Amino acid sequence: MVLPTALLIIHGLVAVALLGAITHQTLAAWATAGVHPSSFFGRFRSVPSARFANAVVVLYAISILLGGIIYLYFRVDIRPGLERAGHWPALGFFDLKEHFAAIGLALLPAYWVCWRRPIAEERSQTRAMLTSILAFIVWWGFLTGHVVNNIMGFGS
Amino acid sequence: MMSSAPLHRFAFAFGTAFAVFYVIAVAKDLALFTVFPSLGIVLAGTQHTNDLTDPAMGFLAPAMYWYGWAATAALGALTFGVVVALLPGRWTRYFWPGLVWLFPALSMIACAYLTLPWFRL
Repeated sequence: MVLPTALLIIHGLVAVALLGAITHQTLAAWATAGVHPSSFFGRFRSVPSARFANAVVVLYAISILLGGIIYLYFRVDIRPGLERAGHWPALGFFDLKEHFAAIGLALLPAYWVCWRRPIAEERSQTRAMLTSILAFIVWWGFLTGHVVNNIMGFGS
Repeated sequence: MMSSAPLHRFAFAFGTAFAVFYVIAVAKDLALFTVFPSLGIVLAGTQHTNDLTDPAMGFLAPAMYWYGWAATAALGALTFGVVVALLPGRWTRYFWPGLVWLFPALSMIACAYLTLPWFRL
């Protein structure tokens, strides 16, 4: 169980970095332009959010790749134990994590295109919505993974 | 209006179509392949353990469909994206770009609906 445990830890660390980047970008995308520069959100906006886009794409891709590998171990070694213990809601949330993660992966090209260059007002809303959906997916995946790991982590 | 650049059109069409195809693949159980991690084998199409072995032995060879569903959706979305990218820009310029977040959002709700049985056990 050394390899899956090591991969799970790396998966978690990548997820933390992704969580920070996408959350910052989402808040900056929705922050109004009239906010005072010295306020909390003003300082948020002063960081060029577009620079997060490449990092988010790479971190998301790494995270889902690691998750896809760990999922094989999860299905064989962890999920049967969760089923025997009757943790059905946790398994439901985990199923949703899989579905959301796949949909989010396919959104990455459009997300990257949207952040790549200055855009019109209409596209700006699309960009903010895409970023928000990805942020929701990342938060959902992080929290669900964390809870499932707490219920029955590797080695338990 | 959608951008006329082929790359942009592909990216938007791919993300939108994947979400739709993915929900269809999950709802209709259309996996391009099925993974049996405990046996280390991958079989083409949707393969239910109970169809291959005695139902009582199913726990020994759990089947995984997620990779296959994603592959099915990716194949469909790739085809759709390439077609849209090859279309003349004037044909696609009246598509609302918000479709690229609206369809995935609706697909996520549909996935939540399909997952409801887990919460009734």
